[in-house]
Amino acid sequence: MRRLAAVDEAAAALGLHVGQKAADAAALVPDLATADADAEADRAALEALCDWCVRFSPAVAIDGTDGLFLDIEGVDHLWGGEQAMLDDLLDRLARWGVPARGAIADTPGAAWALARYAADRAIAPPGGQSALLASLPVAALRLDEAAQAQLPRLGLFHVGQLLGLPRAQLAKRFGLAAVLRIDQALGSAREALAFRRPATPWFDRLAFFEPISALPDLERVTGDICALLAARLEAEGKGARRFELVFHRLDGKDQPVRVGLARPSREAPRIARLLKPKLETVDPGFGIEVVTLWAADVETLSPAQRGLDAEAGASVEEGLAPLVDRLVNRLGENRVWRADPYESHVPERAVVRRAPLAAPAEAAAWDPERPRPTRLLRRVEPIEAVAMLPDDPPVQFRWRGKTHRVLRAEGPERIGQEWWRRAFEEAGPGKVRDYYRVEDEAGERFWIFRAGLYGGETAPKWWLHGLFG
Amino acid sequence: MPGAKPALSALRARIAALEAGTRTPPPVLPFGDPRIDGCFPAGGLPRGGWHEVGGGGLEAETTAASTAFSALLLRPLASLGAVVWVMRRDDLYAPGLAAMGFPAGRLILVKARDEAEVLAVLEDALATVGVVAAVGEAEAPDLKAGRRLQLACERRGATGLLLRRRPFGGPAGQRRDVSGAAAQTRWRIASAPSQPPPGEPGLGPPRWRAELERCRGGRPGAWILEATEAGDGPHPFRLVSQLADHGVEAATGWGAPSVGFADSSPRGEAANAA
Repeated sequence: MRRLAAVDEAAAALGLHVGQKAADAAALVPDLATADADAEADRAALEALCDWCVRFSPAVAIDGTDGLFLDIEGVDHLWGGEQAMLDDLLDRLARWGVPARGAIADTPGAAWALARYAADRAIAPPGGQSALLASLPVAALRLDEAAQAQLPRLGLFHVGQLLGLPRAQLAKRFGLAAVLRIDQALGSAREALAFRRPATPWFDRLAFFEPISALPDLERVTGDICALLAARLEAEGKGARRFELVFHRLDGKDQPVRVGLARPSREAPRIARLLKPKLETVDPGFGIEVVTLWAADVETLSPAQRGLDAEAGASVEEGLAPLVDRLVNRLGENRVWRADPYESHVPERAVVRRAPLAAPAEAAAWDPERPRPTRLLRRVEPIEAVAMLPDDPPVQFRWRGKTHRVLRAEGPERIGQEWWRRAFEEAGPGKVRDYYRVEDEAGERFWIFRAGLYGGETAPKWWLHGLFG
Repeated sequence: MPGAKPALSALRARIAALEAGTRTPPPVLPFGDPRIDGCFPAGGLPRGGWHEVGGGGLEAETTAASTAFSALLLRPLASLGAVVWVMRRDDLYAPGLAAMGFPAGRLILVKARDEAEVLAVLEDALATVGVVAAVGEAEAPDLKAGRRLQLACERRGATGLLLRRRPFGGPAGQRRDVSGAAAQTRWRIASAPSQPPPGEPGLGPPRWRAELERCRGGRPGAWILEATEAGDGPHPFRLVSQLADHGVEAATGWGAPSVGFADSSPRGEAANAA
């Protein structure tokens, strides 16, 4: 038989109520719009709401199928008081169309009762919940069904009537649970709440019955724990870019192994493959009892469908990203890069190293009109040059013990130091460089410069900075 | 033996297909000039293989001319995917490559610690989806490393270039002159004097003296090549002049390149045949 599981305000106004037969309800309201009850979806929505409530308090617990407990001790002042906080929470929910009632009290039991049976947004002053509870129906005490059915028959309709009775008789008649509920509501008994932790720590651990130390064992558990965490990442539609695998030894020392990825991933075999070469550095000591894997830089990763044709549909994810990961993890992060333009006219500073798969640079590309060598020497090398006139390129120069006769030359391109970065002595006129592109009789092309100007305190010097092809 | 020729070439094609393990003939990178392309068995530089580029003298240490030549050679390929450049000394200057029309944004630079690592990274990169070409700076791979590179190239049809470079301060005389029997071609590159347009001062477009010393299934040659602008056409080189050829009419047989020009080649091809 189909019954109503929930009714909204409009339906309640028409006289429908929870538990009514669906056929009766349809007879009362012929154009009744119904939807099948979906307990799982309700639960998921409540969990989502619970996670959202973390913004109000770090400790949020789900209560039954329709309630949330927030432990707001020590956080209400952030909203300017309990009343403001409760208003803010309920107003936000109302704006979303979530019908909700709330109350604040010293104990979860009292808050539960006030939220459901008192006026909306009731706030019990510290220690004053018993006065407020006294006028509520006995159902507000969260008693079991038998007790709830029994009490009105005995003429006990309000909590206040119950509170006046001797405890021993109450316990005898309605069970210890009833007394416990009363105590919990009044604060003389403690109540434990199962707070839902926010799901941010991407963390998994494996503990071993016997300590392990052999390399094949380490490799196997690496694969296992990667699969564990990857399954969780996949379930939540996430991928991570950093993984830290820690081997906890019997003697309390930790042996961490880390890998980083160019793109977020949750492919367990791939992560394990990157981790495995590094396991050789792990010193198992007397044995490893626990291994943990921790994922950082977790991002949303939409599931991608693999191309049917592996050759044609090769995407960055399938090819380049794993290659970059392999190289970075094997060689080190500073050994794999992409050269991006940087807006500086000083040749050494015109290139900036970036991660190979990073977004394209914002800076303007290098000016193709200015000749730049294919090989730029890390340190400029002195040359002995002979120039006919002060501002002319040299007619011949000597570099690494070999004399080159200059047949053709281009220039000068005057490049000053970036005076805004240095002291004047280091960037002044004496440090101006005049670059020439010269070609010797064999066709070899060089990038040479003269540092300093003629007529200064020190004679200009000639240097070789790069080689054209 | 003109009558036997079609059958012979069909056989060659079949053997090539068997060896490479691919269904389609390997694509080539043409130079756009029949005088160069005619030296290669398939009318252009074979793409699914690796090539050795080197030079003599100081060039063996600086590899300036070889670098520019290689970057230009790979320029048409760079639009198809990423290019990985593996080196031991990071003196490659990206603005210089960009000035030659090479898209530096598609270049992944890797600095390896030693020669073995260069070859390992090169092999890894060549076998990766999305990498269209990889350049490695190494001294001289042995036969086994060369064979591994070749297999890696064949997996995805990537083009490998091996820049022969002596490590900084390394012993000059001890490098093996002949290596890479597994390479598809071997080039010897040197700079050549440029020729500016008449009446203009300064330098003309860069020129190289490119010697194709060894070519699998083809014949050697030597040319003066000039760089063209990136917008001028699909081919990065313009043939300026053909140098005196090596006295070989044609390759005498597929897979046996040493028969005809063992004597005429300047640097002992005989060792190669051994």
